[in-house]
Amino acid sequence: MALNRRDLLGTAAAIPFLASKFAHLRDDAERLPIVDTNVSLFQWPFRRLPLDNTHALAEKLTKLGIAQAWAASFEALLHRDIAGVNQRLVDECKKYSQLVPIGCVNPALPSWEEDVRRCFNMYRMPGVRLHPNYHGYALDDDRVASLLKIATESRRFIQISVAMEDTRTQHNLVRVKDVDLTPLPNLLKRVPGAIVQVLNYRPRQPLFEDLAQNEGLFFDTARVEGTDGIANLLHSIPDRVMLGSHAPFFVPEAALIRVAESELTEEHFRRLLWKTAQQIGMRRPA
Amino acid sequence: MNQSAEHLGMPSTKRLESYRIWDSYFTPAHSHPGKDGVGRLYDDIERSLPAVRRAKFEKLCYFAHVGLGTTTDADFEAVARSRPEIVLRPLEKWPELLLGMIQLNPHDVAGSLDALNRWLRDGPMLGVYFSGGGPHSMTCTHPNFNRLVERIADLNGVIMQHTWYKTGGKQGPGESTPAELAELAARFPEQKFLCAHAGGEWERGIRAVQQSPNILVETSGFDPTAGFIEMAVRELGAERIVFGSHLPSRSLGTELGKIVGAEITETDRRLILGKNYRSLVMPILRSKGL
Repeated sequence: MALNRRDLLGTAAAIPFLASKFAHLRDDAERLPIVDTNVSLFQWPFRRLPLDNTHALAEKLTKLGIAQAWAASFEALLHRDIAGVNQRLVDECKKYSQLVPIGCVNPALPSWEEDVRRCFNMYRMPGVRLHPNYHGYALDDDRVASLLKIATESRRFIQISVAMEDTRTQHNLVRVKDVDLTPLPNLLKRVPGAIVQVLNYRPRQPLFEDLAQNEGLFFDTARVEGTDGIANLLHSIPDRVMLGSHAPFFVPEAALIRVAESELTEEHFRRLLWKTAQQIGMRRPA
Repeated sequence: MNQSAEHLGMPSTKRLESYRIWDSYFTPAHSHPGKDGVGRLYDDIERSLPAVRRAKFEKLCYFAHVGLGTTTDADFEAVARSRPEIVLRPLEKWPELLLGMIQLNPHDVAGSLDALNRWLRDGPMLGVYFSGGGPHSMTCTHPNFNRLVERIADLNGVIMQHTWYKTGGKQGPGESTPAELAELAARFPEQKFLCAHAGGEWERGIRAVQQSPNILVETSGFDPTAGFIEMAVRELGAERIVFGSHLPSRSLGTELGKIVGAEITETDRRLILGKNYRSLVMPILRSKGL
């Protein structure tokens, strides 16, 4: 393995960067800071989106009270030069104080370990995002376990995007099934202490019940449907749900209004909107 | 909750009230109202009320099963036929809030014509819903639709047709696409049709009905994909877009978010959220003296 684990574990230098990104997130008595854990930058491959310009997106997020957004790149879906994708993402995020870059790793590519090293050590990212369905591997692939182990040793999280678009509306030439999460409980057992956030997942029984048993598994809200869907999710796993909008593919207001319509306790609001994200994002290396 | 709803993507209460929201696609217990005809329906309406109140909806229109074989439950169908008064109970329980249409069965033209007389001509219902799934669904280009649409037009009724364009093709033989609705609408140029869900895959759906001025698109039933409303306003005009909530199985966030998050004028928002639908149902409301 080309990866230098000592490098990866030497993340102390990353902490001031992370701390500065999270420093302004304080529990405010008048207005909660909001963390959006699921944003993407640049252009969706199949159509232009009203907010696919980063400046416009950042302005909208600010207007909506989103103090911090974990931003990945749409380019990562189909590009094979992932290192270039991550470099552009970092450069773009530097221009906007509320954007935290979340790089992509494709373990099906040669030298994926070098992408991990850059994301964690060079760019000091708090986590990376995976697109197993667009990149053609399953979650029981040994390379996924290796990646998760590295992330866990570095005290970083991994995001798994289950879907980017409803399979019924995809381009006919690029049909991508939702990621099969069935292997996830076993994967988490293999890597104790791992933190994984599943994005764009619509909870369905009986699989959700299995997934919910895993303490290291977190969810976002971007595709949680039903007027009481978020309230039900928080009732089930109050410490493991974080706001995610999937903007700009989805209108960002949708995620927030879904919270506004939910009958939640004060503590549930706090956890959903920022507290859980802050705890995950600010983990210190062992 | 410290956060006010206004800080969570919601317009102010005053602005929401100014929109005068009329929901054209309210789906409590959409496929089955419950064995007794109302149990599941009431539960789902109650479940929706917090969101309905928060968004200041004025009216919501749901689609009643009236014993035409639109469910797969023979017991319920028998109850609905023998005790038709149960169909009216939700409208009696929430008279200020609910509007109703009936689910028709184009496989049963004679029964559907009778139901039109009972529920639209002589009853409080404002129009009809043609489903895209289940044993009663039928592609809307079928000749059986002709007599039904003629009669609905006589009664000034509103027609909501379920439509989807699915990647990989139809998943059931009774589904309809926006292009098929355009074909039906061309036979009845004086009748307005609502293209439910704008075809789901709305980039094709909007194009398919673009040249059919008697078709309006309904906005619910798919993820809050950005750019939908902007394209619909650009290609159809805001006058041909009608808001639907799909509550409670979908969320206010997804469905209202599409409209309030779109980069359109406030005038267009008012048209989409209520004014267009009011214009559509006004003739039959007037004919009922309402």
